[in-house]
Amino acid sequence: MRVQSYLRAGAAALALLAGPTILQAEVTVLGWPGGPEEAALRAVTDIYNGKAEVAAENKVDLLFTSREGFFDKLQVDLAAGSTAFDVNLIATYSIGKYAPFMEPVILSEEAKKVFGDTVLKTMQYDGQQFGVPTDLSLHFLYYRKDLIDALMADDAAKTKYAEIAQKYLGEALQPKMPEDWTWRDFAANALYFSQSVNPDSPTRYGTVIQMKNLLFNMMVFHSWPRSYGANWMDDAGNVTVDSEAFRTALEMAKMLYDAGATPADSASYEYAEANAAFSSGQVAAMVQWNAAATELMTAQPTTGTFAPPAGPDGRFTHIHGLGLGINKASDNKEGAGAFLAWLSGEEAALAYAKAGGAPGLASETAAKVAADRPDLVQAGDYASNYGFVMNGGTSANALGIYEAQAKEFTGFWAGTQDLDTTMKNITASMTELLKK
Amino acid sequence: MKPNRTVENAVLASPMVLFLLAMLGFPVILSLVYGFSETRFEALTSPTFNGLDNFRQVMADTSFWQAAWFSLRFGVITAILQCTLGLFLAVYLAPLIRRHSWMVAVLIIPMVVAPAMIGLMYRLVLHEFVGPLPHYLFQWFGASPAFLNGANVFKTVVVAETLQWTPFAFVLFLTAYQAIPTEMREAATVDGTRPWRMFWKIELPLMMPTLFAAVFVRFIDGFRVFDTIYTLVGPGPGGATTSMSIYIYETFLRRGEIGKAMAAAILLFLSAFLVLAVAQHLLRRRG
Amino acid sequence: MKLHNSLRWLVFLLAAFAMNFPVIATVATAFKGPGEVTKNPSLWVQAPTLDNFITVFTVSDRLNIFAYLWNSAVAAMIGSILPIIVAFPIAWAMSRRSYGRAVMFPLIVNIRALPLIIFAIPLYMVYSATGLLDTRVGLGLILAIVNLPLTLMLLVNAISDIPIELEEAARVDGARLPRMLMRVVLPLCRPAFVTTFVFGFITGWNEFLFGLMLTTREAVPMTVGASFFFASSGGGVQWGVAAAVMVVAALPPLLLGLIMYRRLSGSMVAGAVKG
Repeated sequence: MRVQSYLRAGAAALALLAGPTILQAEVTVLGWPGGPEEAALRAVTDIYNGKAEVAAENKVDLLFTSREGFFDKLQVDLAAGSTAFDVNLIATYSIGKYAPFMEPVILSEEAKKVFGDTVLKTMQYDGQQFGVPTDLSLHFLYYRKDLIDALMADDAAKTKYAEIAQKYLGEALQPKMPEDWTWRDFAANALYFSQSVNPDSPTRYGTVIQMKNLLFNMMVFHSWPRSYGANWMDDAGNVTVDSEAFRTALEMAKMLYDAGATPADSASYEYAEANAAFSSGQVAAMVQWNAAATELMTAQPTTGTFAPPAGPDGRFTHIHGLGLGINKASDNKEGAGAFLAWLSGEEAALAYAKAGGAPGLASETAAKVAADRPDLVQAGDYASNYGFVMNGGTSANALGIYEAQAKEFTGFWAGTQDLDTTMKNITASMTELLKK
Repeated sequence: MKPNRTVENAVLASPMVLFLLAMLGFPVILSLVYGFSETRFEALTSPTFNGLDNFRQVMADTSFWQAAWFSLRFGVITAILQCTLGLFLAVYLAPLIRRHSWMVAVLIIPMVVAPAMIGLMYRLVLHEFVGPLPHYLFQWFGASPAFLNGANVFKTVVVAETLQWTPFAFVLFLTAYQAIPTEMREAATVDGTRPWRMFWKIELPLMMPTLFAAVFVRFIDGFRVFDTIYTLVGPGPGGATTSMSIYIYETFLRRGEIGKAMAAAILLFLSAFLVLAVAQHLLRRRG
Repeated sequence: MKLHNSLRWLVFLLAAFAMNFPVIATVATAFKGPGEVTKNPSLWVQAPTLDNFITVFTVSDRLNIFAYLWNSAVAAMIGSILPIIVAFPIAWAMSRRSYGRAVMFPLIVNIRALPLIIFAIPLYMVYSATGLLDTRVGLGLILAIVNLPLTLMLLVNAISDIPIELEEAARVDGARLPRMLMRVVLPLCRPAFVTTFVFGFITGWNEFLFGLMLTTREAVPMTVGASFFFASSGGGVQWGVAAAVMVVAALPPLLLGLIMYRRLSGSMVAGAVKG
């Protein structure tokens, strides 16, 4: 391999001034780089390219760039009319932003049956289908079974638990199994398992909340206010972010942060840091992306999973999908369309699931891969029972709204502004962003 | 003779001017147009002129002023810290370095590493559960501060930037220090001048031009900081670590407000231009 | 004197340790296995392994670290040498004749303060029209722009330091301007060229955003390529592999700095004698 690389480098040096060498006459697909998404896309592409009826000029060639700054680069590529790819990745929260540079896709007839309406909707904008769903992301509650079991078996600990809950939450809550948790139980548990609150706690922290000023962290947070009835706007289009629901969830999170139930550095935590904290064994429970399941269970084998805690309005998990759509500037839209139509069928979806992807499958389809991927059945269940997208969550500026919330909410948590200012600022930003 | 000189100067200037025009001519013109227009990513080819609207929006944006204040503070503090430390190391270690030149190599390693990677490295180094620094602090003192919470994050990024770029100042000072003619030092030693006095009266004045250059370059680099902070903490809790570059980057790409981002960049460039022009003028009058 | 020297050694060791702490930690992490990274945060590696480095060089057909290194080397070379060539003549005019000192000098130097990424879109358009997109030359050209301000600043300073008598002597001998520049000024600027080149190469090598925006497949530089590895197993950052990539990515500019440092220190001595 090394020799080959040197030769390639040498040849490239000779061709230095010859300009770019773009592979032509194929369908180039820009996918989500790294991880199971890439492996799964490679697997289904191999199947597709192996089909006799796919003409040579319509074979699929995969292109992967960097995860770091992926959507910033995509924005520039699309805006400048790049023809470097025919099919590109989109996500629910960015669909409105990229739709102007894309063409609607035509799904196969099986698509409705394979994915179900909830999942297909994550790829729709303005009533049109802009993408074929590939992966579905939602959130799990991860908790340490061993710790919960020990707590449930210990009467002195239960008393202590109730005392702590009384002191911080004004109610002498009893320990419960995570399947029965409300967010108040989640908070009580987080406090009980934190050494700053309970010096006898076996873990240093009861939870870890990802509070870095980063839009993805807002998605993780959203299930919390949603279960208290929060929404971005009402059906008439009025911005409703300044609500009891958002205020309650924001204040509870801050209370946990100030009490030391989540690391003081969580103000700078995102996915990797939070996982590292949980993996170290010093955290009792947390809400995290479903994608983290393997990593966390490998590090802490006693880890259990369930849907995020419930609130007065029920149990919810924020969902968003990744998918593939057609670049408007593409010079092989026909070939691109053919590939995507096939991708939306059952054959591709099952192959994608078997190769490690995380498609959001309707229960009937999921049953067919249940032996290989039991987790998909669970995720599919949660998505259809608890999944939600905020009102306005696929609008043109959805990404900007998450960004604005990240800035304002983290400011409140870090103590640089009070709740009223936070609500005033975010209402102003969101009104501006949702207006267009 | 005179016209000949004008032609000569023009010829001397031409390589750089032509290169700049070829590379940045179109981008600068288009950006100026965008700065005075309402522009969206969907309609890059049809901006609508809106006069000074973008500038008004920028001036009214508290985040802009917050970012400007952050960058200014960050630039001044890191420039002073780096130059003080760099000067001290260069002068104090010079006698050793004369015999062991490899020491310089060890000291310049940090600035060879990409700032974006330094940011990532600190994410690991400072992490409470997998980072070595908190590990040792817990082991020795039983506690470790939160390096990246609202109260400490500014100090942490200042320290990170200072540790990475002190070598830059150090190299400049070392070069200048070693270039001081040996006769001047010998003469002073014969006169019985003490080391401290020699530094203040002879060496430092000779190094003044380098000192100005170093402070200036370090200030500019601190002011425009992007990679280190962006990879370490992003825009910071509540935007606490949003530098001017981060503000412009996010306004431009994340929020898609092209006109506003351009207006902010134009304001930044004009103010930097003014500062430098005035500084040059003052320096020349002094010299 | 002995005590003084021991103190100096102590200061050196402290400074070297503090400034290089993240680098030392990264090197240690690069030699830890995946299990050890999460369980042993200390700088002492319990079971050193080369696995992370092997992963870096063999992880998949898609990630070709040799190509990234080569792309970065070519682009950084262009990006550091080109500005020296175009800036040298005008640096002389600015330094000796104060030509362009009032407007042109601050104008160019201040480009350094700008986040040049705001030009991403127009540059992208120009590049795709001229075929420079996703090429090493294209990346090198924009790196040359990034480096131009510092290059100009350092060259103007360096030329001002050259004793004017040397130039006058050449003039008396009847040398014309181009000849004088080439025969007298250029050789005396060599130390400055080396410093400028080293700084420029390092800056070019370490640039990330333009590398991300202006390349996709053929000309991906090392900094961008490194970020591919962080997610190579999916989901979170694999710290061990990430650390190994960072070590590999930092080696070339480090070697260049070390080699050039020898020349630098040599020329510094020459400078001292000359003065």
